Amino acid sequence: MTTTTAPIPAAARRRGSAPSTRAAWGFLTPFLVGFAVFYLVPIGYVIYKSLYGVRRSSTFGPIQEVFVGLANYRSALGDGDFVRGIGRIALFGFVQVPVMLLIALVLALLLDSARIRFTRFFRLAFFVPYAVPGAIAAIMWGFLYAPSLSPFNQLTRPLGADPDLLSADVILWSIANLVTWTYAGYNMLIMYSALQAIPADLYEAARIDGASDLQIAWRIKVPIIAPAVVLTAVFSIIGTLQLFTEPQVMATVSTAISSSYTPTIAAYAQISAQNYGLGAAMSVIITVATVVLSVVFFRLTRKRVEG
Amino acid sequence: MTVLPARRRSTPSWRRLTALLAASVLLAAAGCGGGDDEPSGGASQAADCRPTGGPVKLTYWTWAPGIVEAAKVWNQKNPDIQVAVEETPQGNNGTYPKMFNALKAGQAPDLGQVEFDSLPNFRVQQGLRDISKCAGVADAGPKFVDWTWKQATFDGEGVFAIPQDTGPMAMYYRKDLFAKAGIAVPKTWDEYAAAAAKLHAADPSVTITHFPQKDVNWFAGLVWQAGGRWFSNSEGGWKVDLADENSRKVAAYWQNLISKGQVANLQGFSEAWNNAVNTGKVATWISAVWGIGTLRDAGPKTVGQWAVAPMPQWTAGEQKAGNWGGSTTAVLAGSKYPAEAAKFALWLNTDPEALAITNTEGGLYPATKEGQASLPGLSKPVPFFGEQKVFDEFKAASEQVDPNFTWGPTMEQTYAHLRDGFGAALGGKGTLEEALTKATQDSVKDLEQQAIPVQK
Repeated sequence: MTTTTAPIPAAARRRGSAPSTRAAWGFLTPFLVGFAVFYLVPIGYVIYKSLYGVRRSSTFGPIQEVFVGLANYRSALGDGDFVRGIGRIALFGFVQVPVMLLIALVLALLLDSARIRFTRFFRLAFFVPYAVPGAIAAIMWGFLYAPSLSPFNQLTRPLGADPDLLSADVILWSIANLVTWTYAGYNMLIMYSALQAIPADLYEAARIDGASDLQIAWRIKVPIIAPAVVLTAVFSIIGTLQLFTEPQVMATVSTAISSSYTPTIAAYAQISAQNYGLGAAMSVIITVATVVLSVVFFRLTRKRVEG
Repeated sequence: MTVLPARRRSTPSWRRLTALLAASVLLAAAGCGGGDDEPSGGASQAADCRPTGGPVKLTYWTWAPGIVEAAKVWNQKNPDIQVAVEETPQGNNGTYPKMFNALKAGQAPDLGQVEFDSLPNFRVQQGLRDISKCAGVADAGPKFVDWTWKQATFDGEGVFAIPQDTGPMAMYYRKDLFAKAGIAVPKTWDEYAAAAAKLHAADPSVTITHFPQKDVNWFAGLVWQAGGRWFSNSEGGWKVDLADENSRKVAAYWQNLISKGQVANLQGFSEAWNNAVNTGKVATWISAVWGIGTLRDAGPKTVGQWAVAPMPQWTAGEQKAGNWGGSTTAVLAGSKYPAEAAKFALWLNTDPEALAITNTEGGLYPATKEGQASLPGLSKPVPFFGEQKVFDEFKAASEQVDPNFTWGPTMEQTYAHLRDGFGAALGGKGTLEEALTKATQDSVKDLEQQAIPVQK
């Protein structure tokens, strides 16, 4: 409280850094303006819209926009179909994300092991599905799934099996397969890049200690790239909650995809119906759920990953 | 090399940034609050529909083929009223949402193609201009097929659009498949069901038709024929009943065929359906006049094997038809040139030359009585149907369409509810009748959400 020495260096430091701070703001301003205009303003507008509804005096009377508080949120969460959509996506994520990441991890480790030839070719081959636009991929898989057109069914039919991969019972997993096919290679590449950054002397040391390839992979490589795996998991969680294109396109060939199959499809339907308030509230709910899940996942894994 | 973000810091500069961001969000919210003026159509504007006098340039969003060619002819004849046609995706596939956004932003085109089933939605959302006072509009009524004019005028509260084309329904059927199975052309729905059973028994890979889950307006056409009334609108608000007696009758009928596996579970207009048409796996299609082109494209291998007969009837001897589709040319709220826009819309949809162009170039089936009776393209035999004069069937059907069917004001949402319910029924969960009941409840909720008065 009575120290006289402490504030001085602090003040000096601050004074000394003033011009560079100003310069930093100068550089940051264009970014911040863009960030505010194209990111924060739309988000703010969505939040604002979610608190408003419409009133009209008669069927064809003029429309008035009125503040309705949280009524839109109550409608969204009271809508059984919307809530079931969230549940469906949660189930999807719990199964699809771990499966996809495991595949990505195994592929990354295989490519990283010195014994695989044509690494470049495989790296590209696994990544190519990601380069196919989601809508195109969904149309393509739609063909592969549709029983009357599918080459799989032509193979299995003589054996007495004629599975309908577009029926209500399996469509969720048909979509999961499509999403895995698209994104496993992308996630593999992130993990593979992390593997490339591990110094080779670590492996040498492990080998001198008598570790096998499997042991090196499991005990050295995986723990070191754990942060990258966590990152891909968070990306996947975010992607799962926003699942839209694949089911939307699949809906053109399957009868099992409802207008509230995923929360984003439900929100889109409301906006298309000029029901902006409810659609906005649904969007905010999806965003909040995404943020909460991502943060919780980070918290849960950080202790393990960072020790 | 960790990819995790650094631990959170709470330095003063971070806090300042947060405050800045929060402020900009508030600013954004406040700024947008004032800018929400709804375009106001309706009675107040109806009084004035005077031409502006000077040269005018109109924009028109449409996806109907043939309009571009018709507009070229108009532009040559009317140097002072130039129409720029912008070809857009089919309404519910993108153009309607885009139109509503443009209306909100005050940048909507002067003219837009709006299908009959979406007219009430545009009306309720204040998207249409009343053009009843524009020259020639009020007198045009008798030229149009009765039900189309009724829909465009909302039973006489003004004129909000000019009918363009219609979709009277009939039955397309495969002569050869019927002959092979020894089936006479069914005249009633009972005979149709019997034919379905017989065809399927003779060859299990053949079905009489498909039940398209997504084409709810096809189902609505069948309900229309059966005398169902889904929506009605009066002083007290909208009455919604998708599950009235006649609608339930239609639902129960198709549920029976679905349960027995006698109709194919295919989406209309899909590759799978094209394949079924082309390889002779479906024997009929109850569809509209525009289905001629669709069938021709879907089944190139089936030339000459199709024919057209009236829709099966619920009671023998009756003559009732449904309608599937059809559009109007609407003058959108906010157009600065309603007089010129209405003049063009009238010309496009009543002038014999314009109708001939849209009919031959785009296959549009006109909404005017005279057009249906006298267009040269409609009196010719059609090779795909073994030289049958199929348009005669559709002209007869057009006169048999009940004029009192009304679409609801949130039709796209109602369709979505029905699609969901139909999908479940096709998947063996629930029935079509249950789908109708649930869609009624959900549609009432939609109306309430939009504060549209509902009569219960």
